Amino acid sequence: MERIHKQRDRLLGIAARLIGLTSAGASFVLLALGDGRPAMLLVAAPGYLLLALALARMGSSKSLTWPVAVVVLGLATAVVVRLGALGVLAAVTGAPSGSPSHADDAVRLLVAGAIASTGVVLTSSLGRMIVLVGAFAVTMTTIVVLYAADAAAGSGAALGLAAVTALAGWFAMVVCGAVLSTGLLRAARRVSSIGRAHRSERQASETEAQRRQGARLLHDTVLATLTLLAHSGVGVSREALRRQAGDDARLLRQLRLSASPLSVHGGGTGEEHEGAGGTMVKSDSLAAVRTRFEGLGLDVSWHGAGTVTLRPDRLDAFLLSLTECLENVRRHSGVDEAHVTITDDEATVRALVTDNGVGFDPAAVPAHKLGFRESIVGRLEEAGGIARVFSAQGSGTTVVLEMPR
Amino acid sequence: MTVTDQADVPTGAHDVLPHRKDVRERASADEPHRRHGLRMPNLHAERLRSSRTSLGTGFLGFAATVSAVLLLCFDVTRFAVEWPAYPLPGFAAAAWLLLAALLVVLALAARTAGDVLDSLVSIGIVAGLGVVVALDAAAVWGAGDPGRDLTAAPAAGFVLLAMVGVRSSRSITAAAGLLGLVLTALVVVSAVQTPLPADGPADAAAMIGRAVLPAVVAAWIVHVFRRIVSTELERVLVASTISAPRFSVGMLASEELARLDLAAEQLLDAVSTGRSRLPLNPAAAQAAAELATELRLHLIEGRRQTWLYHAISESELLGRAVTLSDPDSLTGLLDPKQRDGLLQAVWLMLGDSPERSRRSATRVTVEITVGPAAAQEGRGRTMHMPIVVQTSGVARGRVDPATWDAVRKVGRHTDSQRAGSLCVEIDCVVDRPADR
Repeated sequence: MERIHKQRDRLLGIAARLIGLTSAGASFVLLALGDGRPAMLLVAAPGYLLLALALARMGSSKSLTWPVAVVVLGLATAVVVRLGALGVLAAVTGAPSGSPSHADDAVRLLVAGAIASTGVVLTSSLGRMIVLVGAFAVTMTTIVVLYAADAAAGSGAALGLAAVTALAGWFAMVVCGAVLSTGLLRAARRVSSIGRAHRSERQASETEAQRRQGARLLHDTVLATLTLLAHSGVGVSREALRRQAGDDARLLRQLRLSASPLSVHGGGTGEEHEGAGGTMVKSDSLAAVRTRFEGLGLDVSWHGAGTVTLRPDRLDAFLLSLTECLENVRRHSGVDEAHVTITDDEATVRALVTDNGVGFDPAAVPAHKLGFRESIVGRLEEAGGIARVFSAQGSGTTVVLEMPR
Repeated sequence: MTVTDQADVPTGAHDVLPHRKDVRERASADEPHRRHGLRMPNLHAERLRSSRTSLGTGFLGFAATVSAVLLLCFDVTRFAVEWPAYPLPGFAAAAWLLLAALLVVLALAARTAGDVLDSLVSIGIVAGLGVVVALDAAAVWGAGDPGRDLTAAPAAGFVLLAMVGVRSSRSITAAAGLLGLVLTALVVVSAVQTPLPADGPADAAAMIGRAVLPAVVAAWIVHVFRRIVSTELERVLVASTISAPRFSVGMLASEELARLDLAAEQLLDAVSTGRSRLPLNPAAAQAAAELATELRLHLIEGRRQTWLYHAISESELLGRAVTLSDPDSLTGLLDPKQRDGLLQAVWLMLGDSPERSRRSATRVTVEITVGPAAAQEGRGRTMHMPIVVQTSGVARGRVDPATWDAVRKVGRHTDSQRAGSLCVEIDCVVDRPADR
């Protein structure tokens, strides 16, 4: 709220400056055009100049110096202009010629515009309002004094016009300040409610994104299927590919429609139950991974334990890495046979993925290559596991995946 | 915008991104009957954009209209008093009637249009004002003192004043300028035909000034108002990142991910139902490949990006001026209070004062360098990390004092002047991340 008050003061300052400078400028132009005496202009010019300087500084700080300076300088200038029109300064400026009405216009612009513009910035606190009332009183008194001679001579019209204009001008400026500050505060309230809405929107979108990113196993199979399709599905049984695409589409739809995070363990062969200590323990027969590669032209021989039991996040990471390893074998090894050995003991579950393919040099995999580092090593390590690769060009590959219980 | 904390993203990313739209289109073109079911996550952004132009100006516009009507009443009284002096009062009366009608049209159109007046309507109103000026000029032509005699023509400026809330300040200023030119031309032509009286030039200047200045000044003030509000809005939107988790995906990426998932779903569905025949034709295969690449990118994205990255990339103002270098994503460790302080300090350094022109605002830049974190010694719960905020074009003496309060929220700081511009080094104490 403090910040918006600062912005409000800024806005009011700019508005006051604009109105004041415009009025002062217009007043000077009117005087120049209406009163032909160069000496008169020279006498009035310093007053206008100082007034413009004070106006330009007004509102740039909280200090009351500048509004007060504007009132004082503005009134002094108005007095000079009025006296010049009356011929009091004739010794310096020469006798006034032409109608004095433009000098009156210039005076009115000063008292109802340039000086009154202080009204825009003087409403924001009680102290300022006291200054405002004082400034207004001084201005009105000066007007009365300036035009008293006219009124005494029987023509009160000039006094009346000047007084009414000044009243209207000051009133308009105070209203202008009030309107601007109310408008800004109203806008600020709406802005902050938009901000609240945006924050919850962001949280929702963050949750949504995390849900989607969290559905990694799903995305992995989707990515693998898309990659197959990218090769036009060549070398894979059409029926298998179609079935797999159907499965993936169904899972994606489920992800889109369901509100809860998904965990994918194909074919419904996994079983879930509440384990000791309230931790979710999942047992999966690896069937999902098995069925996945059956139709894809990779012959996987499975050895060892038929199930793995791990905490859900670890299980996900473990199965994902395993799937990714087999996918790598299928794509890059050049052979269509792989062996997977699953062993588990009290502390760890271990998978050994072996093939007799072309192999590769693990040290030569570029760091930015997404597949291996990101989807196998990174994923496993994030869940607390370790991946080790033993391979060399031409002599097959063995990957060991380890996940603590 | 330059954000350099993404060195790990494969360099191929940029080759792929331009095709993103094609991928979506191709994927959904396979399945036209589904398209209406697409979720459109970008509605939110559009809603925001439209509210950005309107916030609060309705109120100001109403006030401007009221003052315009008051000024018009004053002028129409003056006209009524001077009725007998007119050579052709009928024309002037017609001009006033037209002016009143235009004001009513404006008020009705502004009410129904809501926030921004239709361009056609406003052009119509300005054209109507042209007719008003012509009628009024015809009414007083030949009298030889347009500065004193024209009444409806300068009052046209008040109708422009009434429009400030519903049109851009620039167009109001342009229209007022046009009105000023036309009035000046009228005065000049009239002076050539019949010499002006002694007071003529001053009267003419007063008349033109009264017609043009209120609208121009009001348009300027509304312009400043709009800028303050839109800056506030941007600040508030950006500030929503301070409650984000250590790593986050950002609004845009999450929408994008949803879209990619949908595209993939449609592609796969098409394959499974046999609508896309296997083997796929090269175009569809290409689409699948691009989709896979993008999806992969989006899945790893977000785990390296922090709230500050999103704050900078989502904000037009910050994006233009702020460079972030945070290779270890350490800003994610800052707590909400520290984040708030850092953002506030950056805003203040950029100088969100509305009077600063757009040109000079682009000259100010801020470079934020985070880390590396101090070597971890012991097993304390917290650790130290340095943040260096190097500015250019910001003089130390001219910084808003509130900046230092904001910086203090982030941590202990030292400031210096480097190459004529402010440089702040902050030593933040943050919770040590639990993992690794």
